[in-house]
This record gives sequence, C-alpha cells and structure tokens, in this order.
Amino acid sequence: MLNDLQLNNILEDFDIAYWKINLLTKEISWSDHFEALVGTPPTDESLFEHFMTNVLHKDYRYDYRVAFENLTLGSEDLNQEIRLKLKNDKFRWFECRNLKRKDSNNIETAVLLFVNIHQSKRDQYTIEENFFYYRETAEMTTTGGWYIDITTKSIYWDDVTKKILDCPKDFNPDYDKRLQFYAPEHQEQANSIFEKCEKYGIPFKTELKMVTLYGREFWVQATGKPVYNEEQQIIGIRGVLQNIDENKSNELNLQNSLDIIAAQNSRLFNFAHVVSHNLRSHSSNLSLVVQLLNEAKNTQDKIDLIENVEDISENLDVAISRLNDMVSHQNLLKKERTLVSFKQSLDIVISSVSSLINRESAKIIAEFKALKEISYIPEYLESILLNLITNAIRYKQPGRVPVIFIQTYSVNDQNFIEISDNGIGIDLDQYGDKMFGMYKTFHRNPDAKGIGLFITKNQVETMGGSISVTSTVNIGTTFKIKF
Amino acid sequence: MGQKMELACIIDDDKIYVNLVRKIIEIKKLSENLLIFKNGLEALDYFKIILTNMTEEKLPDIIFLDLNMPVMDGWEFLGEFIKIKNQFDKKITLYVVSSSIDPRDLERAKSFNLVTDYLIKPIELKKFEKIFDRVANVA
Repeated sequence: MLNDLQLNNILEDFDIAYWKINLLTKEISWSDHFEALVGTPPTDESLFEHFMTNVLHKDYRYDYRVAFENLTLGSEDLNQEIRLKLKNDKFRWFECRNLKRKDSNNIETAVLLFVNIHQSKRDQYTIEENFFYYRETAEMTTTGGWYIDITTKSIYWDDVTKKILDCPKDFNPDYDKRLQFYAPEHQEQANSIFEKCEKYGIPFKTELKMVTLYGREFWVQATGKPVYNEEQQIIGIRGVLQNIDENKSNELNLQNSLDIIAAQNSRLFNFAHVVSHNLRSHSSNLSLVVQLLNEAKNTQDKIDLIENVEDISENLDVAISRLNDMVSHQNLLKKERTLVSFKQSLDIVISSVSSLINRESAKIIAEFKALKEISYIPEYLESILLNLITNAIRYKQPGRVPVIFIQTYSVNDQNFIEISDNGIGIDLDQYGDKMFGMYKTFHRNPDAKGIGLFITKNQVETMGGSISVTSTVNIGTTFKIKF
Repeated sequence: MGQKMELACIIDDDKIYVNLVRKIIEIKKLSENLLIFKNGLEALDYFKIILTNMTEEKLPDIIFLDLNMPVMDGWEFLGEFIKIKNQFDKKITLYVVSSSIDPRDLERAKSFNLVTDYLIKPIELKKFEKIFDRVANVA
C-alpha cells in the first residue's frame, strides 16, 4: 500500500489535482496542483463554500453538494463530470471522483480526484456534432451507407440505405441475394465492380440503376472503397449510395429536349437553305435576263427576253406559295390534339383526291379495326394520308391497277399505321437517306415536286413520332408511321 | 478573243436558266454546239454511250453542272463521273454552277479534283466569255 506521500507524488506527476477530506472533522485541503488550477482561495471563507460559489459552474452546484454530503457520510461514492472556473476565468471539464479504498477500516480520510477531461469532452461534442451533420446530410441528399464484410459474407446497411431501398428498418440484407437490388441490365456491372474492389482493392464511383424491395427502379450514384486489416488484407468494402433518380431523369429529359431542339434546328436550317436556294435561282435568272436585254440588238430579241421575265415571275410565284405552304404547315403546331377517327380522315382524303383515284381506278383498302382513333391534329393526319396516298398512285407500276392497303394497330401501347402500295418501288440502297429530304425526286415523273415526303416526315416528327420505309423495286413500298 | 469552242454542255433542270445561257452562247458565239441535260442521269447515260464507241456523239469541252436536280443531282453525277472520266481521251473542264450559297456546298465541290471552280448563279456575261475563252484556247 502506498503511503500519502507516495500517492501525492504520483498524483502530482500525472498532473492530477485532488482534495483531501478529513471525514471526521469535514476539513478539506486542496492539493498544490488544484490551487494552481483555480487560484489561491481566500482565508476568511470555508474552502468548500468558496469552491461552490466561485469555482464550480452553477449548473452543477445542487447535484455536487448532495453528492459531496453523501461522500462525507461515507455512504456513496462520488463520480461526476463538472465544469470548473480556472484562474484565467475559463471553464474546463473535469471528472471528479473519489479514490476508492478497499481497506474499510481506514476511513478517516477521503481523496477526491479532479481529472482534466476537457479535450476528450470537446472531442466527444465534435463527434456528436459531426454525426449530426452527417445524419442530416445523409437524410437530405438521400445518401445511404453500407458495408460488406467479406470474411463473414455479410452486409450492413444504415437506415438511409434501407429507406432508399424501401426496406424496413429491421431488414437484414442477404449476402447471396445482394444482386437482386440491381436492375437486371446492371447486375453484371455491379457484380464486376464489387469483385474488382474485393479482389484488387480498386475503388469505384459509378451510376447504376437499382431496384427497391418492391421492384421500383431508380438511379443511384454508388461509391465504394476497400477496407484493409492490419495485415493489409482486404476484409470488406465500404461505401455510400446516393439516390440520383431525380437528377438522372432530369438529365435524360434535358437530353431529350436537346435532341428535339437539334432536330428542329436542322429542319430550320434545311428550310432556310431551301428558301435561299429557291428565291436565288429566280433572282439570278432575272439578272441574266437583264444582262441579255442590255446586249440585245433588236426589238424582237428584246420581246423574246421579256417573255422569259413572265416565266420567271410565274415560277417565283409558285416557289413563294410553296414556301407559304410549308410555313403554314409548321404553324399548325399551335393547334390542339383531338381524338381523330382514321376512317373519317381517310374519307375526307379520298373525296379530295377522288378524281385521281378514279382516273387510275386505284383501290384503297383500309383496316382500322385494331386501332380506330388516335389523339392527333386532324389536319396533320389528313395531310399525311393525302401525301402517302397520292404518292402511291403517282408512282404506280405502269399497267398495274394501284392497290393501297392501309392498316392501323398498336403494339405495347405504341400506335402504328402502315400504308403499302404495289407501285414501282424505290431503290433504298441508292436513295434511302434522301427519301425524306426536300426537293428530292427519284423517278422521271413530271409531277414529282419532291416536297410531300419532307412535309410528311416533318409532321410526324413534330407530333413526336417517326416514319420509316421499306421498298422493293417493281413490287411496292410500305411506309410505317409510329405515332 | 481567240478560238471558238466546239461543244459545251449544261446539266441543269431550270429551263429558263438553260434558255438564257443558250441565248448568251448564241449571241456571244461562245460555242459551236450545245448539249443540254435535265439531270445527272441523262448526262451520265450520254457519256456511257460515248464510251461504247457505238456512236458519233462527241465529248464536250466544258460542262456546267447544277447541284439541285431531280432523279440524279449534281453530287451523285460527280460521284459517277469520276469513275469513268479516265476512259475519256480528252480533257473536260467542269464547273459546278448553283444558286446555293451554302458554304458546305462550296467546300464539298472544291474537294473534287475534277471541279475547276464553283460558280454561284447568276453568272455575269463577262465571266461566261472569260471561261469559254480560256477553255477554248487551252484546248
């Protein structure tokens, strides 16, 4: 057993302050170190009361007094975390407890130790604070943490991860079924990044599509890093996953809008080009006429040239009215979609081109049973049907009665119309990419104006659909429109 | 002005333009004869027949080629013409003539070796004379 002196020395060596209390006389004496910490007490006041009013933080006064009394009565141990005002008027955390004596006979003296725990107390607050921020951030950004223990083949998820994956808080993820939480098309990728991390310690940061417990698919950003033991062996993978579904779908929407804008832009560019070209070809002819007029030697030459001016003005008129047509087709955009019956639209179109149909004795067979109507701009549907039907008749196989078969149907909630003919067909290898361009004609046909299919494609795309074509020379052509 | 050209060729679907150029060539006496084709395919067919030696038809000294034409446009014609031009026994000067001021068309035309120049409609009378004069005297 250490004697008082030895004990004193040890305590001072460890920078620990203490009180010695005579349990019989209730007399208190401060160690030198304690006095050095809180300052020298005045002599006209009891040490204890001075301590209570001037040193101890007021929040602890009541509890401390009770505990101290209990200690001096010898009934209870004292063990409290308290704040003391030091000489420099700053409060610091101390742990205060009595030195326990196993020797119950020697109970006339008690020793109260004051251990400075300010640093660890502050660390604890910092940790609590950090943990608070971490939790709030995780909640706010829906970022969940996870850990895979490779040695025991088990998975740990925090609450946010469970929430992201629609799992209850007491859910225990099954290591063998871990891939079920990834979208089928991403399971292989997920498996591969985890394997690389587990085997070679390669960290990952990637975007994946996951599936919740209830089968809802969503996008996450997943990061993972290997965890090593002291022997530098990989024992686990630790990481976070963040729900970025909203961002991802925004991104996809944005990309979609960009594509639409790019398509519109290219159509506008094409349009501007056509406008420029069409108007310029007439103006340049006009300029040629003027130059020739200046060179003309006699009246007859001049009169001949004036006739050219008439032709040019006529052509210019036609060109401008065609451009007007195109612009007014674009303007239809502002019209509203309504439920349009295919049969009614077709009837309108047939009656408007009845003379052409009769002249060629064309047969039109329509099959609208599978899909009778569609939400569309009526004028567009009529214009599309008109263009494709007149095309089919115009490019008929000579000597063959033109037959046009029109059919509507839907596959997986997607609506289609197909318009097939038995006409001369077209070599798609040669003309396929130009099929829907402006002013493209592929047949030596004087009626060909080369604008119909361009407008048709424009209308279909404006309504968010697409048009494709299959054709065999001398057999016929089929246009397929996805609405 | 030196020699007169033997045979010029216009490939263009704009009838008015073709008529006007025909007049210019007559008035200015730029060429003895003039070949006119409405599109690239008609012109190509003509050249292919010449290559079979089954005809008395002649190769032109100069070609004015339009770009925007139905059936076979100027670009397609150039692509096909390149394939057969080495079989001709005389040099043919080819000008692309278009009312397109699209710089991409200009770049593309200049990328063809056999295209002497890209002319934007309208072409001035003096320019026509100059071109004919140069080609006739070189040939």
